Amino acid sequence: MISVEALRIEYGRGRRHTLAVEEVSFRVEDGESVALIGPSGCGKTSILLAIDGIIRPASGRIIIRGEEVRGVRRDVAFITQDAGLLPWKTVRQNAELALRLQRRPREGIQEILRSLGLGGFENRYPAELSEGMRRRVGIARALALRPEVFLMDEPMANLDTLTRERIQEIILRLWHMYRFTGLLVTHDIEEAVFLGQRIIILSPRPARVVEVIENPGMGEAEYRRSEEFYRVVARAREILKSLEEK
Amino acid sequence: MRQALHYLVAAFAIFFLWALASFVLEQVKGWPVIPYPWSVAAAGIEYLPQWGSAFASSARRFFLSLILAFATGLPLGLLVGASERLHRWFSPLIYLLYPIPPIALLFFLYMAFGVGEGVKVVTVSLTLFFQVLVAAIGAARNISPSYILAVRTAGANALQLHRHVILPAVLPEVFTAARVSVGLGITMLYIAETKLGLLGGPGSGLGVFIETYAMRTDLSLSGVVGLAFLGLLFYTFLEILERWLCRWKYVGKG
Repeated sequence: MISVEALRIEYGRGRRHTLAVEEVSFRVEDGESVALIGPSGCGKTSILLAIDGIIRPASGRIIIRGEEVRGVRRDVAFITQDAGLLPWKTVRQNAELALRLQRRPREGIQEILRSLGLGGFENRYPAELSEGMRRRVGIARALALRPEVFLMDEPMANLDTLTRERIQEIILRLWHMYRFTGLLVTHDIEEAVFLGQRIIILSPRPARVVEVIENPGMGEAEYRRSEEFYRVVARAREILKSLEEK
Repeated sequence: MRQALHYLVAAFAIFFLWALASFVLEQVKGWPVIPYPWSVAAAGIEYLPQWGSAFASSARRFFLSLILAFATGLPLGLLVGASERLHRWFSPLIYLLYPIPPIALLFFLYMAFGVGEGVKVVTVSLTLFFQVLVAAIGAARNISPSYILAVRTAGANALQLHRHVILPAVLPEVFTAARVSVGLGITMLYIAETKLGLLGGPGSGLGVFIETYAMRTDLSLSGVVGLAFLGLLFYTFLEILERWLCRWKYVGKG
């Protein structure tokens, strides 16, 4: 379980001081998949980085599986916006990187790459891959850690529609397989509804929780075409629009 | 293979233009101002032991200087480039020292390092050191934040960050800077070798070889050809090293 309690994040000092996140609290239960959505630049990524232990909150607490977060943890994996592949490492070296940095045995990489459709590309460099394949290598890197918690920072940003839907379906399939606790940050409403059992809507900066939408229907690839999906999307859109108008 | 062919064609072109220039000057001036390439080659072969020894001495000095410059400039550049605080403190110092040609300090360098091998290596490595240092600092400050975030979220410590991100990201630019500086380094080497006259005899370096035989133009020019070979040797060496260490830069480009 992830528990975020009265989280407050500030950047800079003096005149350059900005309040990025103001008093955000929420919980993600074990095995639950939750989407955080809000306008661009509202502080979503800051919240995710704080949960990962990369940035220190000004106040408030973050607890993952009973332990307060004080740095990067071995049971938490993070997928960055553009997959963050290192161009000087091959597909396999990129996929192994997190294990290597944490000095853990590099096992099971081959199976993970194959299950993501990357078999046969192990020795290629990122420059030789399509954008969709690069994102899958980023997912492989996170998956190799066999994490309990998956933090995803817009892993589908800047992809064409079909590739984006394909990666969304891969993430959904992995969630069913591994039942990890997932927290997805996105500004794409349909993506949030497709992947989030709950959708937490944040205000423009400084971020506060505006509303939480329950979305029990998610879980199948077909959900995208259902009436309920459209209803939840419409509701989320309305709330986000009213935030912009304020 | 194709590149070797290009070099061959270029060598022929230089050979032809050189012969043409020799011929034209001979006609205009009435005496052979520039010896013909074949007589230069013949003179070089005649004095091959001295020529070879001079080339080897200069090459050894340049090689040592290059290693010294990389061994000091690269780590310092990574540290200063990657740390905002170190950069604030050290960059004014570096940019003040950077434009000073080490040759201007040659007198002091002789006082400090004597007139032997040391001072020549120090002069050239100082030149190359600043080129490597400035390139490394610039490249380290331009690394995409997404690479750094990717390894930090995976739990990298500072050493791992340098090893897996900063060093490989900086290498291509450092190699380019070093390649471009080969010519400058050879100029500095020439001056350092000849500044104190003809110490050591013609076999002690290409600079001394060229000046010793200044009156035998064909022989002197064979020393100049030696400098060109020296430049080509190190340019090619650095390029092969880069293609090996930075393979990823060349994928899909043949």
